[in-house]
Amino acid sequence: MTKLSRRQFCMTGLALAGAAPLAAALPATAQQLKGGTLRVGVLSELANFDPQQLSTVNFHVMKNLYDSLIEYTPDGKPLPSLATEWTIAPDKKSVSVKLRDGVTFHSGTPFKSDAVLATLQKGSDPKRGKHVFSTMAIVKDWSAPDERTVVINFKAPAPERQILDLLQFLIPIDPKGIDTVETVPAGTGPYTLVNRAVGQSLTLKANPKYWREKQPIVQDLVFTVFSEDAAASAALESGAIDIVYNGGSRSAVRLKGAGYQVFSGPGKLVQVFRINSTRGPFRNKSFRQAFNYLVDRESMLRVGYAGMGQVVALPWAPASPAFDAAYTKTYAYDLEKAKKLLAASGLSPAEMKNWKLLVYGSEEAAVALSQIMQGTLAKVGIPIELTVLQGAEYVTAQLAGDFDATFGAIGNVQKFPSRVSTNTIYRTVQNPVLKDPHPHPAYVEAIAKVDAAAGGDAEVKAAYDNLNRVLVDEAFAVPTNSYDVGLIVASEKIGGITLDMDNLFVARTIGFK
Amino acid sequence: MSETLAAFGTLLRRLFARRGAALSLIFLGLVALTAIFAGLLPLDPLAQSVADSLKPPSAENWFGTDELGRDILARVVYGARTSLVTAFGAVFIAALIGVPIGLVAGFYGDWRDSILMRCIDVLLALPNILFAMALIAVLGRSQGAALIAVGIAGIPGFARIARAQVMALRQLDFVMAVRGFGGRPSYIMFRTILPNALSPLVVQAIVLASIAILLEAALAFLGVGVPPPTPSWGEMLRTGKSYLYEAPSYAVLPGLVLTLTILSFDTIGRALTALLDHDETDASGATVGGRR
Repeated sequence: MTKLSRRQFCMTGLALAGAAPLAAALPATAQQLKGGTLRVGVLSELANFDPQQLSTVNFHVMKNLYDSLIEYTPDGKPLPSLATEWTIAPDKKSVSVKLRDGVTFHSGTPFKSDAVLATLQKGSDPKRGKHVFSTMAIVKDWSAPDERTVVINFKAPAPERQILDLLQFLIPIDPKGIDTVETVPAGTGPYTLVNRAVGQSLTLKANPKYWREKQPIVQDLVFTVFSEDAAASAALESGAIDIVYNGGSRSAVRLKGAGYQVFSGPGKLVQVFRINSTRGPFRNKSFRQAFNYLVDRESMLRVGYAGMGQVVALPWAPASPAFDAAYTKTYAYDLEKAKKLLAASGLSPAEMKNWKLLVYGSEEAAVALSQIMQGTLAKVGIPIELTVLQGAEYVTAQLAGDFDATFGAIGNVQKFPSRVSTNTIYRTVQNPVLKDPHPHPAYVEAIAKVDAAAGGDAEVKAAYDNLNRVLVDEAFAVPTNSYDVGLIVASEKIGGITLDMDNLFVARTIGFK
Repeated sequence: MSETLAAFGTLLRRLFARRGAALSLIFLGLVALTAIFAGLLPLDPLAQSVADSLKPPSAENWFGTDELGRDILARVVYGARTSLVTAFGAVFIAALIGVPIGLVAGFYGDWRDSILMRCIDVLLALPNILFAMALIAVLGRSQGAALIAVGIAGIPGFARIARAQVMALRQLDFVMAVRGFGGRPSYIMFRTILPNALSPLVVQAIVLASIAILLEAALAFLGVGVPPPTPSWGEMLRTGKSYLYEAPSYAVLPGLVLTLTILSFDTIGRALTALLDHDETDASGATVGGRR
């Protein structure tokens, strides 16, 4: 029997086709876990139930109310979910997806190809597609030859990883509920909504018609919203809740020391010093490049994230195919190198300090990082002021690009590299910070090369290397460190934790020991 | 002038005769002196040393260090500047606007009283903290904005007390006498009535000072006070609470200084009220005018 490579595995779509639902992927102990009511503390109130508006504030509910077409293992291998098979055409210009039979939405509607088509339609609409829209950029059109098959055509040959990322990102929505999905969940997931008390709690119960065998394990799932990390930790320690999800790194380190289980998934975020290269001294390339050496990454990781994460000079998590650790060493904190670049910029001291650092006051780590940056800049003779904004005021300024520089995390850093351009500062078109035409055409070209690298491994690696070189050369965004999002801190009686590729909270495999 | 100084000296002596007030005066004096002369002390509130972060109190750092390795004592000392400047600035603004409003409203007692006091009622109906946050949202986050916000929030207190005092004094003989001699309303309000209404206003100033310090700390605690890295007690409490397990001194010591400062202002205010009430009771036979 021929041994299949990972690539063949994906290409032929034999990925455990029709295999039973993911019981095999469960931890061995999961079979002995007991049900009951799982009480989870979260630090954010979810924005809405639309899976196409996936963000950290609704990470705790999406995988419990919905299923995606495919899933990834923590190390990036694709697994069937609502799609049982997928076949990428030899010219890489289309993918044919076979849909699982016997699945129903919470409303009772059978899951068929019309749901995938409706989901694709929504995702391709710039107004309704929200976060999925940019991922749909490669998609030309789609069709449904029958009720169990969907074919997606691409505008140009697409790299395999990019196609898989798209399938993983597509979460079918019940066509009947697609227009009201922000307020009423419309998925096929293991839990259904019982009650939501805005700002306080969210109660789900097990979906009796769920398609995965013996899942979910716990019958009731109660999320309690805490405004303070310390309060959530105290609730865990007092036994009022069983799990804290998406709490702070510092608390996680402390609770781990106290004997609690801490789970950190592969879906990191990367903190980035975002530079508006259309303003003030940042128009000067040498000045920007100096920041590659001015960022004290080790201190930032230690103070901002209790050391949980990794210093990085590129916007990739270690799980990303474009990750290159050599850059971290080359662009380590070095004031002398920074001073040389500052001198080479030809800017006067008055010009160098003619900017302000925008700070997200609601995020403790961002405040600390900004102060470290301010301290470092003072050492090289650039005294700057911090402008601290809270909540929506900051988000508005950041999304509108109304800043000189600011710290802000980016996601999708473990996926196909061009997915980085879903983050505002890295957008290649309609970039709200850098505007159109993009002031760094070399970067736009490098992203296009990555997207077009559908050939052999050498071509793909060359495209990634080129992108990395351009990123540090243009220096309009200087990454500092990766860090954990969606950390799970659980009491010792909890078992069956499943780590999701994006660190979403997966409750269906969790039970009591 | 010498008479005023002598009266102030007497008042101070009488305050020192009360143990609680004496201790409070000494503590506040110490805080004020260290705040004023902080620049002469070998303390740098901004010097970072991340390698030395969250150190417990030691001979080198008496209050320990914060998450960026900065000396907490230095930040408490410089934080006193922020608090005291806000307190005195707020009292100045509140008194400057509130007292004339109260004087005019109380003196005329006609439609001017109605209009001014309804405006004051509107201001009074707004919760201080909400009003301050709204104002900071408009003016931007800075010490000046916090000071103005707290000052405006203090206007109603001064206006109402000034009005009540004027209403009590305006029909008394010494005021009627000045009126009879043809004194202009502004002269009567500011030169005749106001000096006799100062006692409760001084107490109000002290009460407002403590409220201002607390409000400034609350604003900083909520993340809308003075922007970092300017030291502020409230900001230290806000950040320090995240490190309660690793470095309890980070939040506890600034919190203790804040509590003692507010307690001191409150104790002095109470002592002053008691002393002035006692004076008025003693002089009740001759009325307030008899103190002239």
